[in-house]
Amino acid sequence: MILTILQALILPGIAFTITLGFIFEWLERKTMARMMGRVGPMVAGPAGVLQPLADFVKLLYKEEVMPSFADKTVFRYAPGLFFLAPLVSMLFVPVIGPSAVASFSLDLLLIVFILAYATFVVAVLSYASASSFTTVASGRLVLQYVSYEIPLVISIVTPALLVGSLSIQEIVQAQSSRWNLLLMPFSFAVYIVALLAELEKPPFDIPSAKTEIVAGWLTEFSGRALAFLKLSKELGLVFGASLAVALFLGGPLGPVPQSIVPVEIFYTTYFLVKLFALGLLIFVVRTALARLKIIDAAVLFWKILLPLSLAQAFFVLVVKG
Amino acid sequence: MPRKLGSAVPEMIRTLIQPPVTEGYPFKPLQLSERFRGKLDVDPERCTGCGVCALVCPVFCIDMIDVGTRKVGDRELPLKKPEFDLAICISCGECVDNCAFNALELTRQFELATANKQDMVMRKALVK
Amino acid sequence: MHDTFDKTVQDRKETSAGLMQYSAENLVPFGPIHPALKEPEYFKLILEGERIVDVIPRIGYVHRGLEKAAEQRPWIQNIYMFERTCGICSFAHSTAYVQAVEGLLLYKLPERAKFIRLVVAELERIHSHLLWIGLMGHWAGFETLFMWVWKDREIVLDIVEAIAGNRIHKSLATIEGVKRDIPEPLIPGFIERLKYITTRVHYYRNVVDTESTLLIRTEGIGKISADRLEQLCAVGPLVRAAGIPRDVRRDDPYAAYNDVPMDLVTKSGVDIHTLMQQRLDEVVVSVNMIIYALEHMPPGPVKLRVPPVVPKGENASHVEAPRGELFYFVKSNGGRMPERVKVRTPTLANLPSALEMLKGHTLADVPVVLTGIDPCFGCMDRLSFLDRDSQKLWRWSGEELRQYGIHHYFPERKK
Repeated sequence: MILTILQALILPGIAFTITLGFIFEWLERKTMARMMGRVGPMVAGPAGVLQPLADFVKLLYKEEVMPSFADKTVFRYAPGLFFLAPLVSMLFVPVIGPSAVASFSLDLLLIVFILAYATFVVAVLSYASASSFTTVASGRLVLQYVSYEIPLVISIVTPALLVGSLSIQEIVQAQSSRWNLLLMPFSFAVYIVALLAELEKPPFDIPSAKTEIVAGWLTEFSGRALAFLKLSKELGLVFGASLAVALFLGGPLGPVPQSIVPVEIFYTTYFLVKLFALGLLIFVVRTALARLKIIDAAVLFWKILLPLSLAQAFFVLVVKG
Repeated sequence: MPRKLGSAVPEMIRTLIQPPVTEGYPFKPLQLSERFRGKLDVDPERCTGCGVCALVCPVFCIDMIDVGTRKVGDRELPLKKPEFDLAICISCGECVDNCAFNALELTRQFELATANKQDMVMRKALVK
Repeated sequence: MHDTFDKTVQDRKETSAGLMQYSAENLVPFGPIHPALKEPEYFKLILEGERIVDVIPRIGYVHRGLEKAAEQRPWIQNIYMFERTCGICSFAHSTAYVQAVEGLLLYKLPERAKFIRLVVAELERIHSHLLWIGLMGHWAGFETLFMWVWKDREIVLDIVEAIAGNRIHKSLATIEGVKRDIPEPLIPGFIERLKYITTRVHYYRNVVDTESTLLIRTEGIGKISADRLEQLCAVGPLVRAAGIPRDVRRDDPYAAYNDVPMDLVTKSGVDIHTLMQQRLDEVVVSVNMIIYALEHMPPGPVKLRVPPVVPKGENASHVEAPRGELFYFVKSNGGRMPERVKVRTPTLANLPSALEMLKGHTLADVPVVLTGIDPCFGCMDRLSFLDRDSQKLWRWSGEELRQYGIHHYFPERKK
């Protein structure tokens, strides 16, 4: 019991996820900069590792300004609700071993619900800060969500179809002989593209398009709310990549040699290596592409990705049966 | 031409391997060309106080100040020397080109920021 | 002449009456402060959902009174002021002013000065077009293209710094010549770097033509027909991309454009994708012209000493700035200072075309299309008065403006 609480708080719970969030932000800024010929963060800490933390702390002590037409209750309390979503979801992903901190037989369904809940909170947030930019942003956000949700859910559920269970833990344990990626590559591809849309990274950073609608739904936030919202977006990246590692890349499983080092170290190392590799893939894709328009993004999801994910799911069902 | 997704990727990988092109300023000194037009400098020995620089300056940053008198024949005429306000100077080089005595020069120094505006007034030519 | 003036006043009346029918709900203000605009201008976008129905501009946020200030400074000092009208086309402004004044003095310009003016003007064109390509990448969300193109633009700016001493405000133009010579030992280095830029431009041309996400953003956006462009008096790369071969360097050569061979680049129809191709090809043409000029530069002096007094008369001169035709009119009454200087910048001529190109597109296309005409709002703002009811168009003198200011802010001081 005590062990579970400790795990939930530190590793692989809250502290671990938040640290990974900062490290991912640093990695993203650094690799994106080097691929463009720039240097990225350099000053805060060795090679700029502490820069995301410095930005977070700086935002914490800035003044908070609220537009007069905004809905006060939602504006003040909803950012905290958005922050909880990826933290809770990380508890269900196995990190330090083949079993997760908290798991039950339907936790994949809970994950899907939490993804929907997070986007709902963002839509409410952007609508509540009533300015012309955020109104446009909330329209785009809802349209993008409606487009990517179904391919995302189908590609998440396809591994569950293969294993016959909705528990992430069991899906991970069923990959001890071969990874799901080899059996359902299209699901993996659809998941990565839908993940880019969910995290609002190019080519799908339409709801928070920096050069068109200032900052999209983040426009009217400042101070502590902005710090936590930005951190929540990074945690969303960490969670999305962790889920992909668990569902398609075999989670923390890998060959464990006999030695005096505790077996958790090996599992965590495998997990982190796979996580960073996936993160690098996402960063390369986001640096290489321009931003799409909302109509083209919706067309892409409905016309190409939805049939692809359905076809892959059908294929898996046929092979299994 | 055929449409491709990710035509930028090979170049991205190439740029990743090479060192970044960002100049290391302010941690490393900046490489400037020979003709860089920075801060104005005056040689007090060569300046005769003719006043042509003050006439041609486009932004009127040169003031001719009385520093004494000079003898011309048997008359006493006022002697004026220039005072340069470097905060207004645009480093265009008109005064440098028009000085007949080669007393003015544009150096390569450009870090002129200061907290006190009076630091920017150059009075070294105000000698008799 | 008179009936076109009547017609434009009629259009303006219809626009202001037409504005009444739009309610405030569909009005999205674009600017004056917006991340998509480098300089402040106010565009009222009337939207239906995400489609733009109408655009109503309001300019004048960067008006600095340069034409009035020019009347109070001697001839040579005005060169430095007009150079600072715009950072990107600064040499074009100073060259146009200097050429207008030289038309009133009747000295013969040295040949070497003509070639140096051509070299620096073409270098400025390259740097302006590369800046524009980077900006298109930035507005389309493609930051990588933006950073790479500006990395190569630094090479051009280093060449300019080696010639002129500064990267942007070159201070090179003077009446009857240029102030400094190009240093001979550095010329082979310049040629080598310019050839490197040509290879990079070919690579960017490849990316612009094949990258799918960029093509979705730029192909088919901002279409306008060549006839409509002629009607709206557009200038510069915009009309050349529509297929109309109009270029001041060919139609009325100035500096050394008679002696240096030039290919005129035209495309067959205007949309943003074609504009990108047009400007990238113009960079290649400019590089070839610079290399030819550097290799065939005649020896001789680079400037002549002239008295600071210009004889009485009027003259006008135009140059091909990177954005289009830039037009200067100078009037002298024989004194040390000009009596009147009038500037007509290409952005002001292209703005009605930009507004026409925007109709029917979505909000996401607004930065892309507005940047498509390569706007430089800083150069653009000028002042004139129009009385809608009596259809009278006039300008105020400095004294009238001053009296208006006094009466407006201190009404108790009425004479």
